[in-house]
Amino acid sequence: MFGWEYPPMHLGGLGVACQGLVRGLMKNGVKVTLVLPNPDAEIDGDMEVISPNSEMLKNIHVTSALSPYDSAQAYYEKMKGVPREQQNIYGEDLGQAIENYTAASVEMTKNVRPDVLHCHDWMTYEAGVRAANYHQKPLVAHIHATELDRTHFNPNKWIFERERWGFEKADKIIAVSNYTKNILVSHYGISPENISVVHNGNNVTRDKQPDNIQSEYRTDHTPMVLFLGRLTLQKGPNQFLEMAAEIHRIRPDVQFVIAGDGGMLGELIENSVKLGLQGNVIFAGRVSNKEAQKLFAQADCFVMPSLSEPFGLVALEAIEQGTPVILSKQSGVSEVVGPAFKVDFWDTAKMADCVLTVLREAPLANQLRSESSHVLQKLTWEHQAMNVRSLYHELIN
Amino acid sequence: MNPNICLYFQVHQPYRIKDLRITNIGQDSKYFDEQKNREVFRKVAEKCYLPANALMLELLGKYPDFHIAYSLSGVFLEQCEEYGEDVLESFKKLTDTGKVELLAETYYHSLSAVQSLPEFCEQVSLHCKKIEEIFGQKPRIFRNTELIFNNEIAHIARMMGFRGTLAEGADHILQGRTPNEPYVPPEFYLPKEHYWDVISKHFPGVIPPKKILVLLKNYKLSDDVAFRFSDKSWVGFPLNAETFTDWITSSGGHSINLFMDYETFGEHQWEDTGIFDFLRSLPEIWQKRGIRALTPSQILDEWEHGARSEKGNEHLQKEVKSILSLLSKLWKKSKQSDSEYQEETFDAHLPISWADTERDLSAWKGNDIQHAALQDLYDLEELVKASGDEELVRSWRLLQTSDHFYYMCTKYWNDGDVHKYFSPYDSPYEAYRRFSHALCDLRSRLS
Repeated sequence: MFGWEYPPMHLGGLGVACQGLVRGLMKNGVKVTLVLPNPDAEIDGDMEVISPNSEMLKNIHVTSALSPYDSAQAYYEKMKGVPREQQNIYGEDLGQAIENYTAASVEMTKNVRPDVLHCHDWMTYEAGVRAANYHQKPLVAHIHATELDRTHFNPNKWIFERERWGFEKADKIIAVSNYTKNILVSHYGISPENISVVHNGNNVTRDKQPDNIQSEYRTDHTPMVLFLGRLTLQKGPNQFLEMAAEIHRIRPDVQFVIAGDGGMLGELIENSVKLGLQGNVIFAGRVSNKEAQKLFAQADCFVMPSLSEPFGLVALEAIEQGTPVILSKQSGVSEVVGPAFKVDFWDTAKMADCVLTVLREAPLANQLRSESSHVLQKLTWEHQAMNVRSLYHELIN
Repeated sequence: MNPNICLYFQVHQPYRIKDLRITNIGQDSKYFDEQKNREVFRKVAEKCYLPANALMLELLGKYPDFHIAYSLSGVFLEQCEEYGEDVLESFKKLTDTGKVELLAETYYHSLSAVQSLPEFCEQVSLHCKKIEEIFGQKPRIFRNTELIFNNEIAHIARMMGFRGTLAEGADHILQGRTPNEPYVPPEFYLPKEHYWDVISKHFPGVIPPKKILVLLKNYKLSDDVAFRFSDKSWVGFPLNAETFTDWITSSGGHSINLFMDYETFGEHQWEDTGIFDFLRSLPEIWQKRGIRALTPSQILDEWEHGARSEKGNEHLQKEVKSILSLLSKLWKKSKQSDSEYQEETFDAHLPISWADTERDLSAWKGNDIQHAALQDLYDLEELVKASGDEELVRSWRLLQTSDHFYYMCTKYWNDGDVHKYFSPYDSPYEAYRRFSHALCDLRSRLS
């Protein structure tokens, strides 16, 4: 399996999903050899991780201007928020880094005897294709996010083509949602028969309830509505602000927390002032997992207004904390989460109305809260990986 | 001897709530989605009501032993007046044949029977008046919303003057007994001051019959048509009229009560499933085999005029029963005359209904949002009625239609089930959102 990021070195959902899948596959009796550009992965069980040796690593350690998540312009802003030791996974010249990783990958896997090769997102597709050719085994291309999602359908042509090339070379494509499958069919011209949908599982393990911190900015009984995600076009933070303005007109007591970092921070701060929300919006910056949990637990409502979200693991994290969620219909996670409001990302008035209803109607909030645990029980990685395993079997036979 | 058949069809359409917003509260007292309601009504009219009524008219004319019963909710009749005079006319033609019985129900197709006695009485009385006004028929049989039934409701219906009522033939109450003969609720008296005073106010001059008979839905045979008819994975597929009639005759008893939504014909089961052809061929086969399709009142007439003693395949069981009932009468030193037959008791202590596999109230009163919505709505009863504002009362009543609560059901929400199929909204939460806004507006109009 060819991965790009993996906990603890990860910036987004890709690393988390990859880890969930690997763990789930191992529970299903699949032996996984994971090829990563970085050697510092969390190792579970008898999973084997291969990463470039120090000689190869030298080549991969190029600092880059592109990342799978952000536009180049946003790079600088983003890198400021990334701990120094993590910066090397999305180096300055991503294209070069990928080239080096790919070249090394076949070399590294020569002594492995895989039955199936599985690669995640476009950065690893070429490595997957070359290794599949070398081993003469079927290739599965997993798609967690397309270039179209990241750029709101204004793709970097080169990346878009790399993606399409990978989809066409693969024997089977796994899309993380029907939403993504549809994008592949309608925008990349991929035949729907070649695509299987396997929704992401739930990574969160129910820890004991996080301590309920009461931060300085929150007074008792002030309703709080939360946004958590990278501050990029894709995640819809501007939609969140528009919605906040609508809510503010009717309930000026509501507080809004925008957690996350990204290229749009400056623009968002300006917009919040323009909308007269300066006293009601808090930009919390990038938060740790533990802090995120606390924020979810404190929030009366979590809103994910993404413009195009292949899956949206963050919604499951919110649900894990029992927070009522309002999800963009343009998301994969909305296909698997029943207890939620689902709204088109552009319909911020409706979004606002849903939030206001949740805040006003305690029975509704309770209902959403009480049902959320069922969602997570059903959506385990062990179960989702079982679907991947049967897909492997189909390909092998 | 062959059993009789009792066909009753439920005809109802709710007023669906529009996409209300908080900003509408206090500004807009029109809660319902005019366009959607018209659209749905016309769609169902074309697919079901008009073709099914035309077919029924033909069958009623052709086969002398073919009779049917309908229950038309008050809100359905209002929608007819608004969106479909043609539909209303076609129902009038049916009742003009004299072979169609109309049943009584709550005007607003509400859950008032389990929420508020005065409101329940008023709505049943309103419905009876509406039926008499339009069709010139006085309903004698009561059917409660979604066949919601318990002992108390049965006795209230008796005190309203009804001689019969309908209920689901729920297994856990029948305990192996047949659903194919009339039952009685256990005998008891409801406290006069709480019940009779309220009931008699809305049903003045009524002399309650001594007993009320309960006709039970044969849910296996009813659901074979209503739910399974086009199910290719069902062993009975494809179902033809001959086979279905065989099942009826082998089921035995006094009457096979086939109760279902009228929308089964053409709407739940599309025309291309062959449902209309199936319906068309039934009376012919029944005629040939000497099976009569009777209305609920006719079924009870037959029963009371001694047809019950002639039942063929169950006569042995019947003898044992009559000996037992004779003994119990001796034991109780019965007040009834010896000639009077004592039906078996159908003892529904807790409410039952025809919904879902649970056959209880959980489709409408199962979760937090449903309980809250119902409670909040009925909490307004006194204030709304005291306001003397007719428009307000009407708005409040239109919000009582059971469908609003059904759409909030989350029982199998994640499995994509029948509730989803019937719901006009995205989710149960959306149903609650719209409803709660309407209720907030209603409250604002009160103050």
